[in-house]
Formats: sequence, C-alpha cells, structure tokens
Amino acid sequence: MIICERKPIDEIKGFIAGKKKVLLVGCRGCVTVCNAGGTKEVEILAALLRLDAQKEGVELTVDEFTLERQCDPEYVDELADLVAKGYEVILSMACSVGPQFLSRRYPKERVFPSLNTCFIGGALAHGVWAEHCQACGNCIIHNYGGMCPVSRCSKSIMNGPCGGSSNGVCEISKEVECVWHLIASKYMDEGRLEEFAPIQPIKDWSKSRDGGPRKIVREELVK
Amino acid sequence: MANSTNKSGAVMVIGGGIAGIQAALDLAEMGFYVYMVEKGPAIGGRMAQLDKTFPTNDCSICMISPKLNDVGGHINIEILTLTDVLSVKGGEGDFSVTVRKNPRYIDMSKCIACGECAAKCPKKVSNYFNEGVDNRKAIYVEYAQAVPLKFSINAAECIYLTKGKCGNCQKVCPAKAVNYEDKAEEVTLRVGSVVVASGFDVFDPSVAETYRYGQWPNIITSMEYERILSASGPFQGHLVRPSDHKEPKKIAWLQCVGSRDVNRCDKRYCSAVCCMYAIKEAVISKEHSPSLEASIFYMDIRTYGKDFEKYYNRAQDAGVKFVRSRIHTLTPGADGNTVLEYIDDAGEKQSETFDLVVLSVGLTPRVNLPKLAESLEIDLNEDGFVQTQPLTPINSTRAGVFACGAVNEPKDIPFTVMEASAAAEAAGRVIAEAKGTMTKSRVYPPERDVKNEVPRIGVFICHCGINIASVINIQEVVDYCQDLPFVELCTNTLFACSADSLGKIKEAIDEHKLNRLVVASCTPRTHEPMFREALAQAGLNKYLFEMANIRDQNSWVHQKEPAKATQKAKDLVRGAVAKAALLEQMYQTKVSLTKEALVVGAGAAGLNSALSIAKLGYPVHLVEKTDTLGGNGPKIFSREKDVRGYMVKLIKEVEENPNIKIYRNSYPTSSHGFVGNFETKFQGPDGEFSIAHGVTVLCAGGHAHKPTSYLYGENPNVLLSLDMDELLATNSETIKKPGQTFAFIQCVESRDPDRPYCSKICCTHSIESALTILDRNPEATIYILCRDIRTYGFREKLYQEARSRGVRFIKYCLDCGKPEVVAGANGKLNITIKDHVLNRPLLIEADYVTLATGIDPTPMREEIVEVFKGQLSAEGFLFEAHMKLRPVDLATDGQFLAGLAHYPKPLEETIVQAKASAARVATILSKDHIMVGGVIAVVDPDKCAVCCTCVRACPVQVPKIVRNETDPALRGHAYMEPAMCHGCGVCVSECPGKAIKFQFFTDEQLLAKVEAMIVEKKAKPA
Repeated sequence: MIICERKPIDEIKGFIAGKKKVLLVGCRGCVTVCNAGGTKEVEILAALLRLDAQKEGVELTVDEFTLERQCDPEYVDELADLVAKGYEVILSMACSVGPQFLSRRYPKERVFPSLNTCFIGGALAHGVWAEHCQACGNCIIHNYGGMCPVSRCSKSIMNGPCGGSSNGVCEISKEVECVWHLIASKYMDEGRLEEFAPIQPIKDWSKSRDGGPRKIVREELVK
Repeated sequence: MANSTNKSGAVMVIGGGIAGIQAALDLAEMGFYVYMVEKGPAIGGRMAQLDKTFPTNDCSICMISPKLNDVGGHINIEILTLTDVLSVKGGEGDFSVTVRKNPRYIDMSKCIACGECAAKCPKKVSNYFNEGVDNRKAIYVEYAQAVPLKFSINAAECIYLTKGKCGNCQKVCPAKAVNYEDKAEEVTLRVGSVVVASGFDVFDPSVAETYRYGQWPNIITSMEYERILSASGPFQGHLVRPSDHKEPKKIAWLQCVGSRDVNRCDKRYCSAVCCMYAIKEAVISKEHSPSLEASIFYMDIRTYGKDFEKYYNRAQDAGVKFVRSRIHTLTPGADGNTVLEYIDDAGEKQSETFDLVVLSVGLTPRVNLPKLAESLEIDLNEDGFVQTQPLTPINSTRAGVFACGAVNEPKDIPFTVMEASAAAEAAGRVIAEAKGTMTKSRVYPPERDVKNEVPRIGVFICHCGINIASVINIQEVVDYCQDLPFVELCTNTLFACSADSLGKIKEAIDEHKLNRLVVASCTPRTHEPMFREALAQAGLNKYLFEMANIRDQNSWVHQKEPAKATQKAKDLVRGAVAKAALLEQMYQTKVSLTKEALVVGAGAAGLNSALSIAKLGYPVHLVEKTDTLGGNGPKIFSREKDVRGYMVKLIKEVEENPNIKIYRNSYPTSSHGFVGNFETKFQGPDGEFSIAHGVTVLCAGGHAHKPTSYLYGENPNVLLSLDMDELLATNSETIKKPGQTFAFIQCVESRDPDRPYCSKICCTHSIESALTILDRNPEATIYILCRDIRTYGFREKLYQEARSRGVRFIKYCLDCGKPEVVAGANGKLNITIKDHVLNRPLLIEADYVTLATGIDPTPMREEIVEVFKGQLSAEGFLFEAHMKLRPVDLATDGQFLAGLAHYPKPLEETIVQAKASAARVATILSKDHIMVGGVIAVVDPDKCAVCCTCVRACPVQVPKIVRNETDPALRGHAYMEPAMCHGCGVCVSECPGKAIKFQFFTDEQLLAKVEAMIVEKKAKPA
C-alpha cells in the first residue's frame, strides 16, 4: 500500500491561517490502513485544529468527512453536497492522489494535502512501515530471492553487495538493513549460492519514468 | 445437587492473605462454599503492605485490590474477620470447626466507613500496618482498600473499653454503628476440608544484638522500608529517614538477617525472597532519587525465579552496588549515620558510611502458629513451619488439612499463588462428590424490556453520612438535578449502599417506572456490582446503571472549597445523567462448554495435571509426543525422595484411571476455538485425529542443556547431572572406589549472556549428589565450583550439611574466569580454578567432573505457541497471563500451563503447579455454561478497513479477520469472539476507521457525558 504520514501541524496550520471554515476529508483506503488518514486521524486533526483555534482565540469551524477512496471519481462525487456549503479550505488526508482528484472535481475549491506521501510499502509491526517497492514498472525480484534491490538497497544496485555492508547493516545507517545481505543469506540457507553468483543483466528502465508520467490503458476494460 | 455422601461441600480457608484469597476464589469457583477465617479486621495480608513487587515492579496493592473485592463480593465466600480457630473435630470430608469471632465493637451492617469516628478518637497508637513508622487511632481501618471496609476497635487500646471513659466514637458515628457491648461469640462450622494459609511473621532483628535494631535510629527493617516507599505509607511515598525526615544519600541493605544464621538468629533456612526484594527496593529507591547510592551486602545472590536473574543484571547496570560480605559489626557515625566495614573483592579492607541501613529480614513462622497447629492437630517441622513432605508439598500430617504459602516454607508470591491453587485442588478433591451442595446462586425476576421506552432516569444522591454531605450541599444538588433531561426522580439518601436504601431504590424503579439509574456516591470500583445487582433484582437490565463519584473525586479532595465542590457535584451528576440516557440494554449469552480437558505433554507436570483433573471428575485427553510417559522424571535420582518409585506409581495410576485417555506418539498440529469450546487437531501414529475440549493445559516440558564446553562428549568421565543420577540410582560400584575425587561445576552455559536465567534446581541437585556420594564413599573428596549457591528455603540445610561434611565450595565468577578442564594423566581430569581467598590458581585432579547445566525449554516451543497462540519469553519459556498473580494461567482464557514449559523448577514445584492447573481447570469445567458478552468490543463490518491494526494491537490476540458472511466475494472484516474479548478497549482506541464499538463505553455515551459536564445545563425537552 501507499504509506503516508501527517504533515507537521504548523505546516497544516499555515494552510488554514486566517480561514474560518475548513473541510477535512479522510480516505478509507491505504491511509486508513497505515493509520495516517482514516476516520480516527481525521477526528484527531480536526480536534487539534479546533483546540488550537480556541487557544489562539480565533473563530474556526472544521467539518469532517471520510470517503471510501479519494482516487476514484465516483467516491469524490459524494462530497458535492458538502462542498456546496462553502469552505475556504479543503484539507485532504489521503495520499497526494486524493487532493489532486479533489481539486480536479471541485476546481473552485482550494485543496491542500495534509499528509506527506512517503513510499510503497508494508507494515512490519503495528506502527512500523518499510519501503518495499519503487514502482519501477518492471519487476525483477524473482532474480533476487524475492527481495527488491531497487527499493531496498540504498544504491539500487543490481549486482551487490557493494562492500559497504557490515553485520547485515547498510553503511548509510544502522537502521537500514542491507538487502543484499538478506539476499545472499537466503541463497546460502537454501544451498543454491550458485544461482546468486551470475551477473544480472542491465535492467530495462524504460517502464520506469523513461517516458514521463505513466498511464495504463486496458483496452478490454475501456468502453 | 443432592448430596449422596455424608461429606460437606464447604471448605475452611484460614488466613486472608494472597494464599488464602487465591485458594478461596478457586474453591468457590470450583463449586464449594468457603469460610475464610482471618485473624485481623481485614483481609489482604502481607501483600497489601508491600510497595512494588519484583520482577515486574507492579504496584502490590493495585494488583491485590481487585482480588480483595472479588472475595468480598463472592456469593460463595463468607469472610470471618477477627476470628480464631479453636478446635477441629472429625475427619476428612466431615470436620466440625469451632471458631471464636472476637468482638469488633462495630456493627458491620451499619458502618459506612466514613471515618468520622477515627477523626474524633483521642487515642493514638502505633500503626502496625505501617510497621510502627507512624500512628493511627484506636478505632481504625487498616488501609484504604481494606475488605471488608469497616472500622474496628482494638479493645486493648480503646480508652472507653479499658477505662470506661471517652465514648467519642459512639457519639459522632452518624450510622450508630459503634457497640461497646459487642461480645466474642463461638460458632461451630461443618466443613469437608481445611486450607491453612496463615502466612508468616517478619523476623524481629532486635534479638540479634549485632544489628543495633531498636537501639540506633537509622537501622530499619525491609518491611518498614516497604511502607516508607509506598505512596499510601507514612510519608506518602517520599523517601526519607523516619528519624529526622531527611532524604538519605547512601543506603545499605544487609542480607540474611534472620536467615541462614544459626549462630545469632537461630534460623538456618534461607528466606527465599530477601535477595529479590532488596534488589527491588534498591532499584525503586534509585528511581525515587537517581543520585542515591545503593549497596547490597550479601553472601549469595539468590535470583533463581523467572526473570529474576535479568532483574539482578539490570540492577547492576542501573548502578546498584553488590558487595559479597556478611557485615559482622556496625559502628556509629556522625548525624545518626552508620559505618560499615568490609573486605572487597580485591581483598582490601573498606570502610563506608551510610545514612540508612535496611535489614533484609527473613520470614519466620507466625507467633501463633504453634497454637493454631495444636487446634488443627497438625505437626510443625523442626523450623516451626507446617510439616509437609517433598512429594506431597501441600499435605499436612492430618488428612483433609492442607497448607499453602509461607506457612509451609518461605516463598515468593507466584509460588504462593500456585500452592494456593494446588491446595484448592486438594481440598476440593477430597470432597468432590459434595460439589455444589453448599453453594448458593442468585435468582432474578424476568427482565423488563425498555428498548422502546423514552429514558426515565432515577437519580440518587448519597450523603455518605457526613462524608459527602459535610462538604457538598446535597439539597442544592438534588434540586438542580430535578430539571436535567429525562430525570423522573431525584432524591437524596443517607447511605445509598445500605440494605435499606437498596430496597428503596428497587421500590422507586417500580413506582416511577424508571428505566435508567444514576447513583452519585463513591466509586464504581467497589460499589458498582452492588447497584447493578439491585437493578437486576428489580427486573431491569443491569447495564442501565451509571455512577457519579462525588466522594473520592470530589468531597474528599475539595474539603476546603464547599461551594465549588457543590458545583462540581452538579457537573458530575449532569455528565452521568447524559450518559445514562444513552445506555443500552446489553445481554450476556450462555454458551455451553465441553467438560473435558486436554493436557499436552506427559511428564511429571502433565501426568499430575491429568490425574488431578480426572480425580476432580472430568475426562482428560493426555497427549504425548513420544511413546513413553514420564518425561524427565524417571531419569532423576534424589537423596531426599524416591523420585523413580514415585514416577512408576504416578504413571500406573494415570494409565489405570478410567477418566484419562492417553494418546502416545502424537503431537498437535492446529487448534481453534475459545474457552469451553476448543478443538485441536493432532498427528498420531494412525494419522490425523481431533479432540474437542473445554480447556487446555500445556505441559510441554524442557530438558537438560547439552553443553559444548568442559570436554563434554569427549571425555567419558565428564558427566551431566542426570548421568551422575544414573550412576547413583544404579548404586554403581565405580562411585565407591576409595580415594576418588569428584568435582561439580555449576552454572555451565547458564546465567551467561546466551542463557541469562538461573535454572533454579542445579545447586541443590549437585549438593544432593555430593552428599549421596559421601554417604556411600565417606572418604571421597568433593569440590563444588560455583558462582552463588542458591539453596533457597529449606534446601539451605543441605548446603550446611555438605559444608560440615567437608564438601569444598570454591567460588568463581564470569569476570574473573571460569574453571578450565583438561585431560590429565591416568585418566584424571585436571581442573584449574582461581581461588578467591588465596587469590591464586588451584589445580584439582578429579576422577569425575559433573556439569550442572541449566534447563532448556522444549525444542517444540515454537510449534506449541504457533498452534495454541501463546507467547514465548526471550528465553523460550511460555509466558503466563501475569507473572505474579496468574502463574498457572496463559493469556488466552481456558489455557493453563505447568512444569518446565513455564520455567525451570524442582519436581516438588512442578507437582504443585500441575495440581494448581487442575484447580484452575475445575473453576471452568464446574460450570454448566459460560456467560459471554457485556462490556466487550464489537466491530461494525461496514466500517472495517481490514487494516489489521486491532489484530496487532490486541494484548491477548483475540481479533481475527473473517470472511463476509452474507457475501463471501466481498471484503471480510475484523471479528472479536465475545467469549475471548477481555474488554480492555485497546483495539477501540487504535482502530483508524472507528469501526469498533466498546459496549457501555461507546463514543456517543462518553462524548455525551463529557459534553454535558463542560456545557451548562440544557433545557429539559418538552
């Protein structure tokens, strides 16, 4: 899923400075699952903004709504009646796709992102997420013991390790595990180190950002 | 149930400490009626006095307080306070116990514990609950959480009762509860068995002149120190010297005061708990004051229990200083300080000054135990504790009378709790036929359905005598509440909790057709069950009740601001009324249960557990992964007890018991379900099979660690302890050859960074082996190379015997070098070890080297926790539900554990834990159904984003993601099995989609309450 985290509160306060009526929109997709923008986080941020306004002695109304997903126009439509009430600012608590879809659908509104979209990853434990994919467009993890060197190696090298790894940890930080150490260990454990040794061919990056923004058109689905 | 026997279905439990409490609760849940006899005015015992407890640093009173309330509110436990046992006639199954109820001088049915009497009592006396560090009045309650929470008068202290003058308490008591004419009363009760749990006394160090206790001001006992540290103690938890209230900078703990000291204290046993409590006190003191210097002077550090060794290591890391020295002389210093002299590890003489010296006093038999033993006609042992035998550790010398806790031998709380449950098993087993013949149950009128009614709330504002009314203007609150939304009736009551008032509440429900009730009085912690009960008796759903605490949270803390307190009372009641309006009827549903048990593992633990459960009358499935029963048991040789004979008898008994079905060569592959309704699949010799069971006991065992050091496996004369046992058991001639030298090396690959735990049994076992060798070969030379000798409790006597018979103990430590073993000439083994006294290496030429390795958990542990969804400690032992008070329960309801799977322990403790597991099992299987639901978490499937947050956050692994029932093609949702949910609310607060509702504490209800409390009164709807 797409892993996000909330922007610092001061940055969000900057978006609504001087405004009196704000709509806060959550998303029940990835950001609910990664505890960044679901109903609960919407409630928390709304409460924070209201409390802050009270403390500062300014008038502020914050309304809350959580959409099924912000990346599908049909769900974004559901917001129409609410938007018609007139808000000075709409804060989206989805990944950056959300605020973009909201502004396209409601072009007169001022829509701001209240999350930072961080990476594609998964949960290691409650409250811990790690990057596992960089959307390179041409998956090759089967050549690497099922692990992704593109996203999980600091240098994205295809024929590692690089020599900067020690005790299974990357030289850039003790917090970063060396994926090449994991790949090699796995091959060793399985007794097929010879499959690890061959030089991997140069990766085809044309599916990545080679041709600018990407789009997929599935002819059989398009009516 | 008709009683077809002449046995009584009641049990007497003597002693209201943690041992008695656990035994009583187990017995009552097993289907027996319990008389709990307590000598003092309230139950709670020693544990109520402690500050924190090791090794978790949990608050002691916070842990025991819910148990006190469980006992106090149990329909099948009758507490007899201030009561002495006079005589016990008859025999097992049919005892007549005569007791004397001493006068309390307070009518318990009237006293509302307002404290007015103590406030006006002019007589100050030493407060024994605070170990005499401060004073209390002659009329008193021992402590704030006491059960029963009723005052009492100590006749010897009271001015009126000694001199006939004063009478203040009677004059001021608003409830007219004081009765100076109260008289002692003798009653005879018929019971089937007796559990003695009367606890211990703390050693009085004034008898040992050396320690200057009672002579110098800043020498105190560890028990006094507990009270000083306690937030409810004499200094509200401020760490000060009692003599001058100065904060100490340096504190010394002197270990083994009244323990392991025949010479001065006449106590030869080890008190088993003092090392740990001293370390705990040192650690907690450093938390109070980080710059404090804490030193512990010891002979051996005995941190042998689960997680104890790690606690010791952490204390060292935190800067607690450990000095191996028995202080022989105390010298007075300036400012009331004390100078201690000792020899350090380097052999240098040191002199240090301490502000405060804490004597780590031992546990001794209660001063009245000989008299009690005489009444009970049971024997005491030579140390004055109740006499028991190693393989029947809770049986006294009289059939039907069982003993548990420190009354048998000094021991810590977890093992006391295990023994208490084991005593419950024993006491219940001898009267199993009479189960349910004495118990009472509650009967209720049919419940009125109020779902479609507009809320009609009744509000009762309690004066609590003058407790609340002296601060808060009750009439003003009553007048104010008349106009709150949905309030039909608002009235005041002198004591809402009195029987009289409860009757009025029931009448009001009828008369005014009330469908919600609010009581503004004290705390739901103690009183909510009582009021809910009143609702149920009046035909209302018991969850339609809400409390406002205008005493603890208001009148008690705002005594000096009555006007504001009155305003706050209005706010609190307004909040309670707002929540009450939104309360819903909730139902617990009955779920049937399979009255059969599964026991996994057939070692000493599994066999004992299975046999005890079977004898309590329930079918048992006993599953063993090998083709033999007995586990490690048949390999053990002990000088003190015939273990092998015991195991043969035990196996035979299990095999012949018709209630036990044995499955050999079988192991579990998967298990699902919940308490009362588990189903587990096994792989057996004839393929897969499955067993339905209501409860599970995991006795997966452990085994001796196989070392890779000290030539083990290379030299035939290097043995493990069990190899030596085999030589001794077969009475091998090789042992008896004259002139031989035997060496034992302790802590082999144990208590080191790879295995940072003590295996508890090895010191005692090596000493037993050494003594057996000496018995058979008196000329043998024996060395035991050790770190600390951990012969806790009565095992210390073996250590003394070994020393007196010439066994040489040489200490080593990890830092100064382990012993080295190499093959020498003529098949000898050459051991080099540095002697700490001579400070030079010694060479020992040994014929045999026995390695005391620790105990490893079973290699099957990962599979076991995978199948039964448990948790492992870092060392690989199963995690119990609570280290202190639930040492036999696993976190999942209906699962229990015993034996080495829990932690290394000697056979006698395994037997106790296994029997305890049977009692715990019986508390569930004795029921015809289980009630589920109520205050639990419930998922709204439509809102669930299937994010797994609840699955990960739940402390007891209840939530699961299940398929969508209506359309399996749709996304599933999280689900909490009502029978498993503990109602802690963690998932509710974590759910990012707000999809989980916490019944009785819903967001709507709580927000309504909060909003009502902060917003001024809303107009009543027309």
